[in-house]
Amino acid sequence: MKKNLLLKSALATATMTLIAGAANAEEEQNKTAPASKEQAIGDWKFDAAFLFYSESDSRVSAIEPVFNANKRLDEDEYLNLKLTVDSLTGASPSGAVGSDQPLTFTRPSGNASYTVNANEHPLDDTFKDTRVALATNWTFPVSETTKAGLGANISKEYDYLSASVNGNISYDFNNRNSTLFAGLSYAFDSIDPVGGAPIAFGRMQPVGDPQNKLSGSQDKDTLDLLLGITQVIDRESLFQFNYSYSMSDGYHNDPYKVLSVLDDQGNYFDDGIPVANVLFESRPDERTKHGLFGRYKRFIDGDILDASYRYMTDDWEIDSHTVDLKYRFTLDNGDYWQPHVRYYTQTQADFYQPYLRQDQALPQFASADYRLAEYDAITVGLEYGMKTAAGNQWRFSLEMYNQTPTEPEKYGALQQQTLLPDWNAVMFRVNYSF
Amino acid sequence: MKHKSLLLLPILGFSVLSGCSTMGVNAWEKDLLAKPEMALDEQPLTDALDDHIYFSKEASSGGRAYAGGGCGCN
Amino acid sequence: MPLCLGSITLSDDILPMNEALHSIAYKDSQGFITGHFTAMAGPCEVIIETSDQALADKVTKTVADEAWRIESTFSRYRTDNIIYRINNANGEAVEVDAETARLLDFADLCFQVSDGMFDITSGVLGKLWKFDGSSNIPAQSEIDKLLPKIGWDQVSWSNPKLQIPAGMALDFGGIGKEYAVDSAATLARAITDCPVLINFGGDIVATSAPISRQHWLIGIEPLALGQNKVPPKVALKHGGVATSGDSKRFLLHQGNVLSHVLNPKTGWPVADAPASVTVLASNCTQAGMLSTLAMLQGKDAEQFLTAQEVEHWIQRR
Repeated sequence: MKKNLLLKSALATATMTLIAGAANAEEEQNKTAPASKEQAIGDWKFDAAFLFYSESDSRVSAIEPVFNANKRLDEDEYLNLKLTVDSLTGASPSGAVGSDQPLTFTRPSGNASYTVNANEHPLDDTFKDTRVALATNWTFPVSETTKAGLGANISKEYDYLSASVNGNISYDFNNRNSTLFAGLSYAFDSIDPVGGAPIAFGRMQPVGDPQNKLSGSQDKDTLDLLLGITQVIDRESLFQFNYSYSMSDGYHNDPYKVLSVLDDQGNYFDDGIPVANVLFESRPDERTKHGLFGRYKRFIDGDILDASYRYMTDDWEIDSHTVDLKYRFTLDNGDYWQPHVRYYTQTQADFYQPYLRQDQALPQFASADYRLAEYDAITVGLEYGMKTAAGNQWRFSLEMYNQTPTEPEKYGALQQQTLLPDWNAVMFRVNYSF
Repeated sequence: MKHKSLLLLPILGFSVLSGCSTMGVNAWEKDLLAKPEMALDEQPLTDALDDHIYFSKEASSGGRAYAGGGCGCN
Repeated sequence: MPLCLGSITLSDDILPMNEALHSIAYKDSQGFITGHFTAMAGPCEVIIETSDQALADKVTKTVADEAWRIESTFSRYRTDNIIYRINNANGEAVEVDAETARLLDFADLCFQVSDGMFDITSGVLGKLWKFDGSSNIPAQSEIDKLLPKIGWDQVSWSNPKLQIPAGMALDFGGIGKEYAVDSAATLARAITDCPVLINFGGDIVATSAPISRQHWLIGIEPLALGQNKVPPKVALKHGGVATSGDSKRFLLHQGNVLSHVLNPKTGWPVADAPASVTVLASNCTQAGMLSTLAMLQGKDAEQFLTAQEVEHWIQRR
């Protein structure tokens, strides 16, 4: 038949006219094309998102566009492809403490240096980087009650490569009111730091001098296990309970983070080298984490409550609690407002040290990375969602993140400095599904 | 070290599983739960973006999904 | 527990109506009320997602009345309807009503887009071909005598006047049931917003997706053709499902099974036609037409429906 592709639309129009009668035919045609499923077999479903992230005090800014394509291959079989681009600019605390004198630091490349003014919190602004990541996932049915998934991810930025594979299986039982989930993931990470990986506790050297750095890349293996159960409670609500286990082995250091070496007055110890007296950090080469996660979702008269709690503990002595609450107010036309609150608190790593003292022995491991310190953090946000006439979904979200660390004990001249300043970030996100 | 909290796990797990068999609804009562906005993975992109931010800025990860990160952010 | 409508009987004839069959029986189960009645030579049901019996009464009665109305309007066995007047006009022009006009327009379009394979003047072949599973093939001479009496291009149709040459006859059997389903659905929608599924012997339309389930679940009768496949199930949210083909209506000829779908140009059954074609589309009429056209493609049925980008299930002998 010659007119194959026009046939379907010709028939569609013709049947509309036939059924509804000439008068109503046009009205019928304006309705969106119905499908037997939201995503018919062979159909693609797309999701795009854009995140803008910006920290206070000239710290890090990032933009992160994401594009996701999902194809329904068969009744219960899907292929998912996701592309993420992550572009970072700005400065990040190096771990060094401030001083009443200006400080000079050598950049990671070893070819340039930067100066921090007196009484300023030292930030290293070398972090302009773009990351690209691709994730693929294939989910398919194994039996009437069992589904499986296989996935692979790869992520690349200038100095970092991460590649992982994962597999999972889920089993429905109890009249499909309960689902058991088990997943395993293995990741291989490789970092080739700018200028090379520093020797543990290596002393930062001036530009031009040998830099105390190793050549070659540093690797890390990570094995993740996720076990979970999702359970329907009643017609309006369900809960989920997960246990996660993560074991990583290899290079865990942040090669750009340092610790200041101070004298007994709280000033930088002068060892004669014309660049601030800082040592590159050293972390253990193994980390084991356990997590317990519970989530509750409830439909309340058109609105939706989503609450979760996570407890995390590891062998670096970090314990954390996270409470997350979202409440969606659904409007009559289907649009919604969703306020969001998240509370997070963590204890410090057992090797976290805000600084080192010249007159004390070097510990086995130490890091002054603020992310390993003790702090609370709150996120407050509001999301607005709306559907277009064609049934595509827009979401707009504005959130504020505020981290308030516990200021460590200070002595001498250090008392004039803030070691762990509070900081906050603004996050603006747009999502579009079509 | 963490023995107590780890012991809690199988106890929790077992009580969760044994309680599960008595809970639930019939298939025709799943109308509300079948709504897309009630799905636990309703917003995978947003969840992934959030997970990435918090993985980069905090020392914890995982819970809802794998704990590994896959980037050089932490 | 999915709502499975079980096996489907397939028929595209409109047989005589018996007044005694105008009864409706109801069944109430799990949030759905089903009304059963007989029309268009087969079992019909109207399933409405409600617990309001009065509403179910109203909807089912409206649907049943529409089915019986269309059945009597286009039945070839009555002498008091438009079809009788058309087929007995002896070459004279007949003025038709708006509904018949729409059906003729539709048949005309189908004739055009199918390059003449779908032809509502081909009903006369039914006198020669009886698909009773035997090997009684009509003689070629008999077929040759009828061929000149087939051809929509010989019909003069200009709304509202229809003129067909003497000796030719129109038969709406190929679209009547699907049209009835869709027409009844329109009436049902006007009465209620509750999800309604209408099933006239396998020609189905759902006005909207059920609330308490993901979708309506429809089982396609597996033809006992020795295939190992699990009978397909159609998950329908809204739209129409229609099936062409029938495992029970065929003839045997020279070791081949001839399906009951006739090629109006040759007067013979379409070669290599599938045993059954089920199509899912926006409405039942569209689904029915696509499934009929697919059958007429014979061995190219799969290719045809794939090119149409509609969900379909084809079973072959």
